[in-house]
Amino acid sequence: MKKDNTLVLLLAGGVGSRLNNLVQTRAKPAVPFGGIYRIIDFALSNVMNSGLNQIGVLTQYKPLSLMKHLGTGEHWDFIGRSRGIKILPPRTGSKDSDWYRGTADAVRQNIDFIKAHPSKEILLLSGDHIFRMDFDDMIQFHRRKKADVTIGMMVVPKSEIHQFGAGITNEEGRIVEWEEKPKVPRTNLASMGIYVFDTEYLLSMLNQDREEIDFGMHLLPRAIENHNVFAYPFHGYWRDVGTVQAYWETNMDLLRDDSGIDPEDWGTRPNVEAGVKGVADRPPARFAVGSSVKNSMISAGCIIEGQVVNSILSPGVRVAAGAVVRDSILFNDCTIEENAVVDLAILDKRVHVGRGAVVGHGEDKDTANGENPTHLYTGISMVGKDAEVPENGRVGRNCRISLLTKKEDYPGLELHSGESL
Amino acid sequence: MKLKPKTLAMILAGGRVDELNVLTCYRPKSAVPFGGFARIIDFSLSNLMQAGLERVAILSQYRSYSLINHIGIGAAWDMLGKYRGVSILPPSTGYGNTSWYKGSADAVFQNSDFIEYHGPDEVLIISGDHVYNMDYQEVIDYHREKDADLTMACLQLPMEKASRFGVADIDDEDGERGGRVLQYKEKPSRPKFNWASLTVFCFKPKVLLDILTVNAREDESFEFGRDIIPRMMYEQRKVYGYKFKGYWGYARTIEEYWQTNMDLLGPNPKIDLEKWGLRTNLDHRNIGDCQPLKVGNNASIQNSLVYNGCVIEGSVENSIIFPGTHVKNGAKVKDSVLYFNNVVGCDAVLEKVISDVNVTIGNEVKIGEPGPAEDKEVTVLGWNNYFPDKLVIGSDCTIYPTLGQEKFMREIKTGEVVR
Repeated sequence: MKKDNTLVLLLAGGVGSRLNNLVQTRAKPAVPFGGIYRIIDFALSNVMNSGLNQIGVLTQYKPLSLMKHLGTGEHWDFIGRSRGIKILPPRTGSKDSDWYRGTADAVRQNIDFIKAHPSKEILLLSGDHIFRMDFDDMIQFHRRKKADVTIGMMVVPKSEIHQFGAGITNEEGRIVEWEEKPKVPRTNLASMGIYVFDTEYLLSMLNQDREEIDFGMHLLPRAIENHNVFAYPFHGYWRDVGTVQAYWETNMDLLRDDSGIDPEDWGTRPNVEAGVKGVADRPPARFAVGSSVKNSMISAGCIIEGQVVNSILSPGVRVAAGAVVRDSILFNDCTIEENAVVDLAILDKRVHVGRGAVVGHGEDKDTANGENPTHLYTGISMVGKDAEVPENGRVGRNCRISLLTKKEDYPGLELHSGESL
Repeated sequence: MKLKPKTLAMILAGGRVDELNVLTCYRPKSAVPFGGFARIIDFSLSNLMQAGLERVAILSQYRSYSLINHIGIGAAWDMLGKYRGVSILPPSTGYGNTSWYKGSADAVFQNSDFIEYHGPDEVLIISGDHVYNMDYQEVIDYHREKDADLTMACLQLPMEKASRFGVADIDDEDGERGGRVLQYKEKPSRPKFNWASLTVFCFKPKVLLDILTVNAREDESFEFGRDIIPRMMYEQRKVYGYKFKGYWGYARTIEEYWQTNMDLLGPNPKIDLEKWGLRTNLDHRNIGDCQPLKVGNNASIQNSLVYNGCVIEGSVENSIIFPGTHVKNGAKVKDSVLYFNNVVGCDAVLEKVISDVNVTIGNEVKIGEPGPAEDKEVTVLGWNNYFPDKLVIGSDCTIYPTLGQEKFMREIKTGEVVR
């Protein structure tokens, strides 16, 4: 029995710097999503719902928030005699004393963990994606095909293939050619960053060349050339929320019935106890007389007196009378004071928007952010953790306000589109 | 050093309370849902947690499964640890001990060994049936200061309401804070004093056990209010009253229970769940797995509480909606309390309704007469019922749980009971 187990390794070390403000204090997998979740909840819940019991989480960048969130793992049922979740940070030792230099290097530095948990296969995942997938089905596929490696792949538009690892398969599903982020698309099969390895095979591959530090760049091309690598076709909802725009769009998918994302139906579990005040400490959302809420998700502990349209509110958000929140994502305990407007913005935890202030002012959505033109260019403005927007202040489009910005830090009442603070 | 707790808390949670009708067909009153996500006993448990009293026993007899399930391992209230824990104490058989609990005092008496085993400095006995926020530590501090045999928390009521309660005459020894209890009467027909006992009793363990032993030997009735407190007074024990001034929610009848629910609403609610720090066990019914509330394009929610896991597409006014409930397009829910996993069909209208779990209401069903809430009585729907499209049910109706479709082939008139 034991020998048939699959060990899960979840890569959660990425910086995800294109998420800008959201990853100033936390790793990408720990970024809040959909009101009460964090991005990593989707991968963890998939592992739980696939009946897999042993998981190692490889962390490196700002892991505190993530570690708090994982806790003992009880929220994903990882407690028990044969079940467990371990955090695997980089460490020093007699031989290895380096930071993780890449995905393969990170796994290589945890060979002791792999050996301590005897397994038939290793499921290697990324904690960066919003999706539902039955890994057990993928493992069965891997066994049926007698593969050395199986890669989860989905069909994407050819115009997007340049962001992914692309695989060209033969008629039985074996990958015969591999291109990492190809400029010219030859296929529409994109790697989702989900791999099943035969454990023995993986260990021998890792042993060969210690300079091979990345799966996509080094190990997979070599495996495809010499061994049995299969593509496991995935049909369903899967999003990489690595950019501000993708993050916003994927959140907004929650508000559309036909988008295919449905966390509760998927069995996605949050950690309701995480944080100083988790979901477990929140009463039901309260709606005052005169409030108006349309097409939105509202978490427990919110108090709504004003207007909320097409938006996603995390626990404890307060929208005062006369205030309007539109097309926006607000994290825990944001306060929007009377007659303020938040339009097309992402507000991190505890942002305070003063009376009559506007975040997302004017119609100039085309002036990209001056400092981060590749991050903020579609009109979305971002406000960092614990930041304040002063009374009657005007924050334009594509603006970025850093965490902890205070009223006194504003040069004037107006921040023009594309400016940062 | 505060390692081992000095106070043992015991919660009386066994009662069925007939007046709550179909809501207590399958659960004790303490497990009745309240506040849009919680149960009545959560108020006592959260009060205990905030007072740092985490060595707790729950005395339960009637239909205790729902309660046992709700308490779980007690982790939701931090009652899990080396010196922290919740023990559920059901009636048991054994040497010289073969009966059901014959009353609240008998329930404690039958667990004398449990009290002796823990050897606390004081035993705090509270009811799990009330909605309130009290710092028990203040009661205990007062009890210790006075070196009392018993300190009971009391609330001053208008004289005309006092006859429904056990009432004490408390002197002004410590002014606003409390005083010596000079007299005590259980439900007097013509009350002369009006400090109502709130079933929050802090006892010296030895005195408690002595009195319970005498009560078990000599009396025919075994209730704290009716028998134990009068006996304490008769024996001239040192009984003090702690004067409580906060909110106290009654829920002895359906109408009172409804009113207490309404006290959750308004711009400055009398029951402020956030301020009170109410916690519940989110594993019970898996409400921790619910996604945030989804509000549709044509929805309207006014003066209401709605928890995660709901979908609101219709209109909700002056109401409290528990997780997993779906109010569909065009439906109108007013002055109502809907428990877990209800479905309100398109264009259905509910006015002053309390609906238990798993109730499905068809399209265009009308329940409750139109008009202001104060002009009509509550209609109560028992659990696991399906009401077919276009059915009409009046106000002040009681629908028993899990009825067959043949019961709903006709209009149900105001005041009817359907079983």
